[in-house]
Amino acid sequence: MGVVNFIIENILTQASVTIALIAMLGLILQKKSTGQVISGSLKTMLGFMVLSAGSTIIVGSLTYFGQIFTEGFHMQGIIPSIEAINGQAMNELGLGRDIALTFLAIFVFNIIIARFTRWKYIFLTGQAILWMATMTTVFGYFAGLRGIVLILVGGFIGGVFAVAMPAIAQPFVRKITGMDDIALGHFCTIGYVFEAGVAKLVGEKGEKKKSVEDLKLPAQLEFLQDTYLSLMVVMIPLYIITAAFAGKEFASTLSGDTNYLMFAFIQSIQFVVGVYVLLAGVRLLLGEIVPAFRGIAMRLVPNAKPALDCPVLFPYSPNAVIVGFITTTIGSVIAMFVLPVFGLAMILPGMLTAFFAGGTAGIFGNLTGGRRGAIIGGIVHGFFITLLPALLVTTFNSMGFVNATATDVDTVSAALLYAWLIGPLLKAF
Amino acid sequence: MFGFGKKKAKEPKKQITEEVVITAKRKEELLRTISFKKEEANQAVGEEQAKIYEEIGLAFNELGEEDHAIDSLEKSIQAKKSLGNGYKTLLRLYNKKRAEAAKENDEESLQIYLKKMDQMMQVSKEVTRGVR
Repeated sequence: MGVVNFIIENILTQASVTIALIAMLGLILQKKSTGQVISGSLKTMLGFMVLSAGSTIIVGSLTYFGQIFTEGFHMQGIIPSIEAINGQAMNELGLGRDIALTFLAIFVFNIIIARFTRWKYIFLTGQAILWMATMTTVFGYFAGLRGIVLILVGGFIGGVFAVAMPAIAQPFVRKITGMDDIALGHFCTIGYVFEAGVAKLVGEKGEKKKSVEDLKLPAQLEFLQDTYLSLMVVMIPLYIITAAFAGKEFASTLSGDTNYLMFAFIQSIQFVVGVYVLLAGVRLLLGEIVPAFRGIAMRLVPNAKPALDCPVLFPYSPNAVIVGFITTTIGSVIAMFVLPVFGLAMILPGMLTAFFAGGTAGIFGNLTGGRRGAIIGGIVHGFFITLLPALLVTTFNSMGFVNATATDVDTVSAALLYAWLIGPLLKAF
Repeated sequence: MFGFGKKKAKEPKKQITEEVVITAKRKEELLRTISFKKEEANQAVGEEQAKIYEEIGLAFNELGEEDHAIDSLEKSIQAKKSLGNGYKTLLRLYNKKRAEAAKENDEESLQIYLKKMDQMMQVSKEVTRGVR
């Protein structure tokens, strides 16, 4: 009995160990060799610890940013970063084990739905599933769910999203790619369909419809070449300007002996370092589990359509990606200033979301509404994908998250489903 | 509502396109292009070589020789990444191979093609962002 208690109280309470044990079980079930089982389990554990370390760096930087922003602008300035949310949920909130199990449950429900219904979509973007698992776990926990129910409900909702989002996008994807064999697996789909709808309403119609692909645009977005470089381009001015507004007197209380602007500069880089470390952890964490599950899913549903990450569409409409990126950024900046007027937090623009979600949305907008549809639809899309995460800020704050909100709108919609429907229903009964 | 009805209508159409038989004349023309371009490819470098390999790959694809098509299209992307018809054809062929591997329960090939499809997503990201 003493041994069992020791295991329960000292080993299973460590999320990194539990996650490594889950990976070990998966590897044993796949009949991997002893060496592969050991190395796979250790890598998974290492991944979780690296992820946690990244999260600690991010939280340090965000705490500082939150203080100077509140002092400088007398309101809350929120950085949209699903990585920061995932890191804090797994690490600081202690939901790591539940998120890992929900992640597996989403895969399982995805396979079940694809196997037994006519919606044969298998979601292949592992990282996106991790973000979805994070949001369903965090908001399920907030709604009062615990233990196996938290995991199963999260797995089911995530699994439904993993099938429904590619299914909703497929009529558009078919038109964009001219084939039906490949689907889109990116949890920003509600935003894409929203832009397609807006573009259809306001865009050019019939013979007047002109594609952005006929325009001459600069072919490449060179300033976005590197993920971390593009993060720095936004974060450095954001931190320095905010520190300047907070003023020397206040900012110096946080910077110690270092000049307050220099300190802000270093902290902005620290944020990027945190994201870099966290994503390295995510890659290690998923490196063992995801290929195994994808293999199982594809064999169990042999006629499945693989739902791939958003770059799958870029080759079909490269100009629309650029137009989508620019217009979504404009929409996000408008929303940044407009939302606080309505009492919501100020959501600062995120360059990477604007590029991937905005770029893909641009393709949808161009498809349904031509040039005018892509431009107006893109701006409205930028506003929309900033508004939804702003609605989550109060909940995130009350749960103890530091100065961040989620990004991908499908994961945000899943969270709102919990906050607006499941939570109140649970409270009512 | 989501247009699933269209799926059924599409499937027979897809099979028709797959079963298209090219004329003897066209076949001869393609084979001639391939042998001619292969010599050119050996002498060319960089972007030019990528273009020639892309043409060879597309010709093989039209002939229905998928493995040769994949080989040439991969060489094209290795020489210079681009997102033209070669890229789209290569992704489609990878996906076809992946589906075949899944049906045959061939885990090893399945993982190879899933990984290759991941790499194609990376290529798309890099080219769109202007990484050279």
